[in-house]
Amino acid sequence: MNWATRAGVHIDRAACAWLIRRFVDPHATFTFVTDPAQVPADATGFDMPGVDLSHHIGPEGFEECSFETMLRRYRLDDPLLWHIGQIVHEADLDDEHFDAPEARGLDVVLRGLSMIRADVEVLDLAGPIFDGLYEYHRRAALLGREPS
Amino acid sequence: MAAQRSTAASAESGRWVLLAYRMPREPSSPRIAVWRKLKRLGVAQLSDGLVALPADPRTREALEWIGHEVREADGQADLWLAEPGELAQQQRLVGELSAARAVEYQAVQDEAVQAAHLAPAQRRRIGQRLRAELGRIGRRDFFPPPERDTAQAAVHTLLEAEDDTAEVPR
Repeated sequence: MNWATRAGVHIDRAACAWLIRRFVDPHATFTFVTDPAQVPADATGFDMPGVDLSHHIGPEGFEECSFETMLRRYRLDDPLLWHIGQIVHEADLDDEHFDAPEARGLDVVLRGLSMIRADVEVLDLAGPIFDGLYEYHRRAALLGREPS
Repeated sequence: MAAQRSTAASAESGRWVLLAYRMPREPSSPRIAVWRKLKRLGVAQLSDGLVALPADPRTREALEWIGHEVREADGQADLWLAEPGELAQQQRLVGELSAARAVEYQAVQDEAVQAAHLAPAQRRRIGQRLRAELGRIGRRDFFPPPERDTAQAAVHTLLEAEDDTAEVPR
């Protein structure tokens, strides 16, 4: 399936693309556009104004980022993904709704990557970063403390 | 640092991103949510329902999202990229934004100075809170005023003093 998002990948778009590849559509291809009107007819748009898979006021009455919207739309109820959702939320929206100390650092890493690599490469490089984040929190949940 | 570079570039080019918006008076909560977000972004208020930020990809996207939120709340929002017609206008806008941040930095500095005589544990707690506040101000500071450095130094001193008196296990 073809997916389209806004050019200039940063935290929310990178996290959504990772989620799509890992949990929604392993054969996903990505197109980058600068205007919602440029989304190809066969593509599903995400993280851009005017498409469904973007920021919305969630059921709890506060704004959610596109990653959180995707978790809801694809009924991904894995608590680890929702934990990553809190990190992405804070990195993207910075509204201090969640306590996610990783958010600032992850945001800086992604912003730095986007300065030195093209969008498609940023998605490829961000994949293992989110895989690692997932694994870290998986182990933390099993151990009940910070893993080594 | 990169953010400073990109905003310095936009300050030179004098490009601004403007959001013109209108929202229904009631319900008031979406209107207040939008107002809070704009405040957090550090916008310059040009007139009622017209705000501006120095243009870069991040500020542009941030205002696009707010425009989207306004429309979802049955309001109207239009995003414009603009250049001031006169140099004086640009300077006034930069001055306004810089002065608004200066007031915020000054408030942090005042609080840090007042906390200097408190007990170490209180100083530390206040110092950490002020450091977080400095981070928030810094993220919306496009034209840093001199007050930034003095506020940072005051908070640094507050936290450093605590380190000196911390008990070291022997």
